[in-house]
Amino acid sequence: MTTKRISRLVLPMALLALLAGCGGNQQPQDTLTTDAADSLAQSERMGRTRKIFYNIPSPMETAALLKKAGANYQGAILNDVKNVDKYTAASKQALNLGVYGADLSYASVFNHTQESMFYTSCARRLADKLGVTSAFSDSTLELMEKHQNDRDKLLDIISETYWDMDRYLKVNDRDNISALMIAGGWVEGLYVATQVAKANTTPELRQRIAEQKLSLGDLLSLMETYGTDDQALNGVREDLKALSALYADVGGGGGGVTATQENGVVVIGAEGGAATLTDAQLAAITEKAAAIRNTYIN
Amino acid sequence: MLRTTLATALLAAGMMLAAHSAQAQCKSFAKNKCVPGLHPYKFNETFNGAQLSPGEEAEVNLTFYSGQEYRVMVCVHQILGEVNWKLVDQNNKIVFESMADDPKTHFDFKAAATTQLRVVVWVPSKPKTDMVHMGCVAIMVGFKE
Repeated sequence: MTTKRISRLVLPMALLALLAGCGGNQQPQDTLTTDAADSLAQSERMGRTRKIFYNIPSPMETAALLKKAGANYQGAILNDVKNVDKYTAASKQALNLGVYGADLSYASVFNHTQESMFYTSCARRLADKLGVTSAFSDSTLELMEKHQNDRDKLLDIISETYWDMDRYLKVNDRDNISALMIAGGWVEGLYVATQVAKANTTPELRQRIAEQKLSLGDLLSLMETYGTDDQALNGVREDLKALSALYADVGGGGGGVTATQENGVVVIGAEGGAATLTDAQLAAITEKAAAIRNTYIN
Repeated sequence: MLRTTLATALLAAGMMLAAHSAQAQCKSFAKNKCVPGLHPYKFNETFNGAQLSPGEEAEVNLTFYSGQEYRVMVCVHQILGEVNWKLVDQNNKIVFESMADDPKTHFDFKAAATTQLRVVVWVPSKPKTDMVHMGCVAIMVGFKE
C-alpha cells in the first residue's frame, strides 16, 4: 500500500508522485464496505493510494477550550514581545511565530485587546522575516485595528490569517517551517495551560491537560513523517518524545465510543473514563513543558 | 542527450508547478466553498485536503473534546461526483456513514466525552476512460465555543 503524507504538511513531491501515478491500475470499487478494518485491508491488498492527514488543534481552539475549562488570563506568562528581535535563525522564527500565534489567540479569546495587538505585531514581524508577508499584509493589520473592539470579528481575522500563512508556507514548499510553527504553537498552548493550572487547578483544566496526550500523539505522528535532515525538526521531535514519555501512563480519553440521541442531537460518549492526571504527572508535565518552551523562546 | 535531459527537466518542472497549483486551488476551494458550510459552527482552522482521483482514499484522526458541539463536513469538488465517507472509533466501529448513493454533507454531534475518531473518505472508482478526473476533497471541522 502506498501511504502519503498530505494535509497539514503537503510535500509537493508527494503530490507530484500522486499526479504521475493517478489513473493507474485501480480496481473497481464502488462503495465503502461497512467495516473500516476490512476496507483498509482491501485497500492494502489492492495497492490503492491511501492518504493520511494529521490534525493538530489550532491555537484558537486550544485557547477556547482553556477558557471553557475555567482558566483565567495571565499575561505575564506569555512570551515577552521584546524577544521578537532576537530570533535570527529561520527555525527560531518559525517556532516563535507559533508561540506568538498561540499567545495572540489566548489574549484574543480572553478579550485582552491591547495585548492582542502587541502579539499581532510580533507575529507580523516574524512572518516578514520568514517571507510570509503576503499572507500577513498591512491590510490585515489595519483590519485588526479597525475591529479590535469586536472580539468575534477579531477572532475571525486571526483565524483567517493563520490559515493564509499555513497555506502560503505549504504551497511554497516550506513545509518544515509550517511544521515548526505548528509545534511551537502547540507547546505554547500546553505551557500556558500548565502555568495557569499551577495558580488555579480546576478538575476541568486538569482534564484538558491530560487530554493533550491525544493531540501530542497526532503531532508526533506528523513530525515522524519528516526525514532526519532538518536539525531543528529533529530537536523538536525529541522534545515531543520526552513529553510523550511523561504522558505514557496517563489514562482515559480514547478507545471505543457510544452514540445516543438526546433531543434530536447525536451525543458521542466514550466507553472508557475521562482522562486524568495525578499530581505527580501534572507536576512533571508542567516542568517539562516549561523547559522545552524556554529553549524555544530564548 | 541534452535535448532529452532538458525535456525531462521541463516536464518535471511543469508537473511540480501543476502540483503546487493544484494544492493552492484545493485550499482556495476549501476556503471559499467549504468553510461557509460550517456555519454556525466555527472553523477550527485546520485544513485537511488534497486532490484525489477515483479509487483513492484519505483518512484523518480527529480529537473531539467533551462538552463541545461539532460539525464534521466532507466537501468535494463537483468533478469527482459524490464520495463515500464515514467516522469510525478506535475500534473501527462506525459512528456515522455517508454513501455516494445517499450522500450527506455533514455530521453534527455533541461530544459527551473526549475521544478520537477517524474520518475515512473514499472516492468511488469509475469505468476507465482516457480522462483522469482529479478533484479536491476537504475534511473540515467546525466547533461551537
